[in-house]
Amino acid sequence: MRDTVIKDKGTQKHVEAFVSKLRRRQVVGSHATAIETVLLLRQVISTARFNTLDQLVTIVKAAGRQIIEAQPKEHSIGNIVRKVLRLIREEFNAAATAAGATSSPTSTPPARATQLPPPTPASAVVPPSSSLSNFVLLGHPRSNQSLAVEQASQGHPRQGSGHGEHSEEFKAMSVKPALIDAIKDVIDELETVYDGVAKNARDHIHADEIILTIGKSRTVEAFLKSAAHYRKFTVIVAETAPSFSGRDMAQSLSASGISTVLVPDSCVYALMSRVNKVILGAHAVLANGGVFAISGSLIAAAAARAHATPVVICTGQYKFTPLWNLYHEYAAVDFGDPAQVLAAKDSEGIDMDKVDIVNPYYDYVKPELVDVLITNEGDHPPSYVYRVVKEAYDEEDSDL
Amino acid sequence: MATEATTSRPHRSSTLRAVVIPEGSSPGLLEVPRKDSGNTGFAAEDQFDVYSAYKRLLSDELLPMPVAAILVLTEVVANSKAATMYELVEGLKDAAAVLKSKYSNQVGLTAGCDLFIRYVTTARQDFSRDFSHHKAELVRQGKEYAETAQSSRDKIAEHAFGFIKEDAILTHSYSRVVMQALLKANRRKRISVYVTEARPKGLGMKTYNALTAAGIPCTVILDSAVAYCMDKVDLVLVGSEAVVESGGLINAVGTLSMAIIAKAANKPLYALAESYKFLRFFPLSQYDLPIDNSSLLTLPSQKPTAPRHSLTLASPMTPRAVQSQSVPEMSQEQIAKNPEVDYTRPDLITLVFSDVGILTPDGISSFLVGVFAD
Repeated sequence: MRDTVIKDKGTQKHVEAFVSKLRRRQVVGSHATAIETVLLLRQVISTARFNTLDQLVTIVKAAGRQIIEAQPKEHSIGNIVRKVLRLIREEFNAAATAAGATSSPTSTPPARATQLPPPTPASAVVPPSSSLSNFVLLGHPRSNQSLAVEQASQGHPRQGSGHGEHSEEFKAMSVKPALIDAIKDVIDELETVYDGVAKNARDHIHADEIILTIGKSRTVEAFLKSAAHYRKFTVIVAETAPSFSGRDMAQSLSASGISTVLVPDSCVYALMSRVNKVILGAHAVLANGGVFAISGSLIAAAAARAHATPVVICTGQYKFTPLWNLYHEYAAVDFGDPAQVLAAKDSEGIDMDKVDIVNPYYDYVKPELVDVLITNEGDHPPSYVYRVVKEAYDEEDSDL
Repeated sequence: MATEATTSRPHRSSTLRAVVIPEGSSPGLLEVPRKDSGNTGFAAEDQFDVYSAYKRLLSDELLPMPVAAILVLTEVVANSKAATMYELVEGLKDAAAVLKSKYSNQVGLTAGCDLFIRYVTTARQDFSRDFSHHKAELVRQGKEYAETAQSSRDKIAEHAFGFIKEDAILTHSYSRVVMQALLKANRRKRISVYVTEARPKGLGMKTYNALTAAGIPCTVILDSAVAYCMDKVDLVLVGSEAVVESGGLINAVGTLSMAIIAKAANKPLYALAESYKFLRFFPLSQYDLPIDNSSLLTLPSQKPTAPRHSLTLASPMTPRAVQSQSVPEMSQEQIAKNPEVDYTRPDLITLVFSDVGILTPDGISSFLVGVFAD
């Protein structure tokens, strides 16, 4: 089935190559996978042949599904696919509107037909956007702008089906250049995401503060380094067993002149009374505001709560995921190599049949433990995440 | 909660009502005598009797109160002789006021009326046609919405489905939307349910019967056993009569205590509410609800003269046999001093599932602002 959807053989090969890279964990981390995904989708779109919106959406979804199945715990893949799908619909909509506008002066009847839903006597009288259920859903139209948004969102499903019939109205393929440009913006955004998050760092960190962080998040790293241009502060970094990524973090921070203290994970609670702020990175942010972050984050967040220390999450907005209840899934935390916890050479004299070694990679940090999420597009309380998610992706894509 | 259609209605016309509304407490507001329809005195739109129309609509068990209110108002529009928007809206407001004056608990009614009136005031009018045409369109929209409103419970059940694992669930009293969510979950997951008896109406038994009939293991617990039960459950599902702007909810009495206990035990509490139950209203305490509470929890004006024999009888010292025979039951008057609904604060609610999506309690106010703010 898959092979029939993506026609271009070279592209399909690229998709499969990426899939096997993900399976072998040669590409890890939400940022790296996000960038690879969007590059791949760009290729999929540029080689795709399609006549209608639906066809293109099907192709992109098929490619997306293959990648997601390869690594279902990298939520940024799904987010990027959803984002691209949203862009596709937007570009088609814009093209359809433009086509309607250019051909309406000539007042050809078929041009009107693409613009309007199938003419029923009632909907011809009052536009569909003013029905009471839409009113409930979208709020009341305050200005022409919101009216346009309403109609655009109304237009999605209808025009999708409409283009099958009126494909000659505008050439579907002509949308491609604009679409590729739009995807380029997504790539740019991903490439500058660290700067985006870090740009307001100095508003969040004050002079002589003591910050605690855990693991090596590139977002947090950029954030702290950006703040260091303006302030002097101290960072306590927990080693973060068993990956010990905290050691790299400490090295990197001290190399850029930040006074850094490396501590074992076990003393996070004891030190918390001196800490002014806990800053954590994220793997994925759920719609309820809960966060998947490197294991150890939950200890830090819980200790912070005990001392009423604020917990700040630094994350790019592409990590916001339209899922609510992943924390039900035990496996959602992903598991690392058990040898990191107890290597085979150290296990002499231990009856390994009687010992299970588990190395969960992520912690789920409940939204109640998070004070604010700092993103490349502003700071949000955890309770607001669901709204950002709702605005960023189309509802129909929440299940890919 | 189920209160609206299925349950409280029988009480409305019974003796209980007469006690709840003390005569003369606010003579202008509450019309105590209402022998029968037809002569409501001030039917807003001259000849049209809103109250009996509303009662007629509510006799359909499945119709929720706010939707019934919307349908009544569409009938008001249909019967209206108004030639301008202003007249029409005034007529609707009058009709809503008449309806509200008939009930001590106006929560669901208000939500429906406010929504429809707001819709009428903001709906774009097609000025190329005359006003009667616009009115017809409003009526059509109202009726269409009432039909689609029925499907909102499916959507809510769908949302709730993702949050239910093979869980023990605690619920309170009877709610149609909770029932639908539970029955849906039961199709694919093994769930078990604890339900409170929910005195004095005892609607928990209705839940129990329906769930048992569907093959879901279900146990009725005393309202006073919620705390005892809480450690055994994984999550709490409650319906609601209205969700207010603070993100809190108004629901059958007992919900608040259940929510406080759930919070204390760190169990999630999910509220299920259709969007037409969202009410633009910001209560700060239990006593702010749009409910006539002048007679609730009143204390006797003078010290009771008779010895409190009820107390001695109920004390644990009493021999069991005597106790079972002669503990006096609560009288109707005593029950009537108790509230039907309470207000659950937003900080006790984990999430609200509604047909417009899954919302955090904070999200309710932004939704309401979207609909009601200028």
